[in-house]
Amino acid sequence: MNKILAIASKELSVYFKSPIAYIILILTIAIFNVFFFTIIDQEREASLKSVFQVMEFMFIFLVPILTMRIFSEERSTGTIELLMTAPLSNTAIVLGKYIGVLFFFSIIIGMTFVYYGIVEYFGQPDRMTIFIGYVGIWLEGAFFLAVGMMTSSWSCNQIVSAITSYAILFLIYFSISFIKYFSGPAEAVIRQMSTWTHLENFSSGLITVGDVVYYLSGILVCLALTRFSIENRLWR
Amino acid sequence: MIITQHVTKYFGGFPAVQDVSFEIHQGEIVGFLGQNGAGKTTLMRILTSYLPASSGVVLIDGEDMAGNSLSIRKKIGYLPETPPLYTNMTVKDYLKFAAEIKDVPVKQQRHRLDKVLEECQLVNVQGKAIGTLSKGYKQRVGIAQAIIHEPKILILDEPTSGLDPIQILQVRDLIKNLRNERTVLLSTHILSEIEQIAQRVLIIRAGQIIVDDTLDALLSVPGAAPDGRSTLEDVFVRCHQKSHEVSGE
Repeated sequence: MNKILAIASKELSVYFKSPIAYIILILTIAIFNVFFFTIIDQEREASLKSVFQVMEFMFIFLVPILTMRIFSEERSTGTIELLMTAPLSNTAIVLGKYIGVLFFFSIIIGMTFVYYGIVEYFGQPDRMTIFIGYVGIWLEGAFFLAVGMMTSSWSCNQIVSAITSYAILFLIYFSISFIKYFSGPAEAVIRQMSTWTHLENFSSGLITVGDVVYYLSGILVCLALTRFSIENRLWR
Repeated sequence: MIITQHVTKYFGGFPAVQDVSFEIHQGEIVGFLGQNGAGKTTLMRILTSYLPASSGVVLIDGEDMAGNSLSIRKKIGYLPETPPLYTNMTVKDYLKFAAEIKDVPVKQQRHRLDKVLEECQLVNVQGKAIGTLSKGYKQRVGIAQAIIHEPKILILDEPTSGLDPIQILQVRDLIKNLRNERTVLLSTHILSEIEQIAQRVLIIRAGQIIVDDTLDALLSVPGAAPDGRSTLEDVFVRCHQKSHEVSGE
């Protein structure tokens, strides 16, 4: 466990010891602020539902930038040899790295708590709905990060990793847009596959077992595939 | 300490290492020579469990690599050809991280860190980011991470490449000082270096071990050196020529 935390804190320090972390934090929060203002200004509602949906959309673009380096960089600089010849299990490497990037992502989510403060100050929002919305957006981000980390373990080139994870994230997010061309079981599968369907429930203040299972199983599958990929050195 | 039996490694259809068997005893310093692409790095990666062998057995300190790679890794310190450094970490943070992932007990981390900083002469750069250091310092940070958990076996892939003469001397002294406590396998292209620190020489050519002998025995053959013996260079060139003739190349 200590070793997992050591890797996680190393990952975090890698972000914060380069300008990347600060640029991402400032840029993301600046863009969110603009959308938050626009949405509140238009809807005049003490709710963050639309804000969560915009955040979800933005994370599709943000997450691959965060995750592309996780394994690709280690591979291209050769530092993966340090990890893979140290007495660390592959599970520990994957979990450590995942916890590190998840913590960084949580900082971004944490910074948006100020939106709750603002709607609380000026209106009477439903606190439970907003809390559940945050749980949903956090789970969604955690799932996206797992996808990004998985693609990062497939290639030693960061750009290739990023583009692959963009492709997968676009596919699972936008698949809902093509639903009108399908019917029957195919329609149901596509509806269940799209993250959009599941976040919709969360942002409306609804927790269902199906949605939670969707995110958790998605995360687990991606982490398992990442472990499989580094164990079998699939990047070669 | 290190025993390999019929180790073979294929990359696709290409045999990088073929049927390699040798034994290295405790406390030996073994020089590992070969042309570029002969399979030195691949073999070292197999010994450090970075790559699995396609077939054959690797025994480290009596344990089979196949089922015990995690416990074997604690016994091995490895410096890859390119030192595995996180360039934006400071030397101290990096070595602390290395100590943590290599199972150094928490209470001893402080002590071991100070010790390797001292041994590798890194005390005055410990607070600097690794990316800003010169190549010689980087190489020494690489060696420091390899010895921080006091492994029984050290595997060093070209530890002196790219260093200036003074730094080479320092690294060589460092390896010599480790002699009493460790078994060392090092590869290099600088033959005089092997003559000075190694007791035994392995020469690999096209994935096969073609020479496995003590340094004294190799050099005692009459040759071009001033004292009438061979130099390691003679030996190296001779055995490469010989195997060219044998294979009809």
